[in-house]
Amino acid sequence: MLEIIICSMVIGALGGGCIAAGAARMFHAPKVQAMGAFRTLGEMNACSGDPIAHFSFGLGFFFSAAASAVAAGALTGEVLHRIVPNWSAASLLVKNKNVEETVWNPRKMMMAGSVIGAVVVVFLNTMAQLIPEKLSLIAQNVLTPATGWLINPVMPAIFWLAAIDAGKVVGLWGTVLGGISALVSGNAVPGIVLGILIGKSAEENGYKNKMVQILIAIVIVMFIAIAYFRGFFGKFV
Amino acid sequence: MEKKTFTEKFDAFMMKDSTFILLVMGAAAAIFSGTYLFIKFGTGAFNEISIVAMLTDGMGSGDYAAAAGFATGFLIARILEGPLVGLMDIGGSLMTGVGIGIPAVFLSMGWKFPFSNFFSALLVGAIIGITIGGIIIIIRKIVPDGMAVGGTGIMMGAGNAVGRYLAPLIIIAAAQYNVYTGIGALIGAAFFYKWEKEMTGGAILGAMILGAIFL
Repeated sequence: MLEIIICSMVIGALGGGCIAAGAARMFHAPKVQAMGAFRTLGEMNACSGDPIAHFSFGLGFFFSAAASAVAAGALTGEVLHRIVPNWSAASLLVKNKNVEETVWNPRKMMMAGSVIGAVVVVFLNTMAQLIPEKLSLIAQNVLTPATGWLINPVMPAIFWLAAIDAGKVVGLWGTVLGGISALVSGNAVPGIVLGILIGKSAEENGYKNKMVQILIAIVIVMFIAIAYFRGFFGKFV
Repeated sequence: MEKKTFTEKFDAFMMKDSTFILLVMGAAAAIFSGTYLFIKFGTGAFNEISIVAMLTDGMGSGDYAAAAGFATGFLIARILEGPLVGLMDIGGSLMTGVGIGIPAVFLSMGWKFPFSNFFSALLVGAIIGITIGGIIIIIRKIVPDGMAVGGTGIMMGAGNAVGRYLAPLIIIAAAQYNVYTGIGALIGAAFFYKWEKEMTGGAILGAMILGAIFL
């Protein structure tokens, strides 16, 4: 038991700190390389610097993560995707409502994230059964469909419309790559995002530009690789 | 130039592009060790039940092809996509790729060292993280600056717009699940809106509270 607690503390502090710092860097992407997810960014924006909203969003997923931890020992991706970033944000916002000085600051988010990560991982690995089953069930049945819809189809539609509104070149690249992405990976967002990047670059520098050509080549290779690894070519049989 | 305080220096360090490598290293070490904990004690893997099941299936049968193929495919795609977009998806790359795919590859090769104790798991995870972070920063350096700048405004605008949809979606989901969670979400969201708080929080708390009382 002691070994589980010590290991969980190290894992939670290390992972929580790094992920929270990566999440803070999302607000500065693509100027700096960040890590997290577009959906995490959208969800954190949804709570728009309100500590209660950040906390309750994380709490809902904490309940459903507890259920999964009890059932199969799987803490779910929500721990690092949602609970740690949102609770870190909530804890910082209680003292200072200015997001630029708190949630957008990787140093502060890293410190908050490592404390919260350690507590959450230790709790889920040792005491998850303390959460009443009823609360986990409600959380799963309310939050899982809502965030599922947000990821698909709400996000693709919003990104798609943004691409279309940005002009013919961007709109065309976004539409073509978004459609391909929906076919091979199940979600259109990565394709639309790359389409916006390619479209804007082509608009500004022209197709003769070496870098635009390289970018297009990389994206084509990438989609072929994704299609191959996800067994897309087998669907034609 | 004035001397900067330690905090300012550390802030600047945390915003450096190359610091990303260290962040991926820490996160990968943690997630890989989480899988070690899961293999040893049956709890602690950072992934959904269905994906973790691929690994446990392999541990039972000795056939890791499903876990390895599924997860490493994800990992490669995310490593290519991350530097182009400026945002690496931790779900596909780290939780599924490093947490499930790479352990499956190691186990299928019969390489036991990463899972022999906690420190070897941390060490191997950190090395995997440095490698991934390094590749992403190298791709980023090859694709020159200014490439992505044009599209940033569009994407950030869309990213911000997405958030606004969450509160209504939660109320709809709560209403579809059960009448009490629906009423709770509705009341919570309405009050939070009136008080100029974020509606998302009100909807979740309302659904939870009424659901807990009446279900």
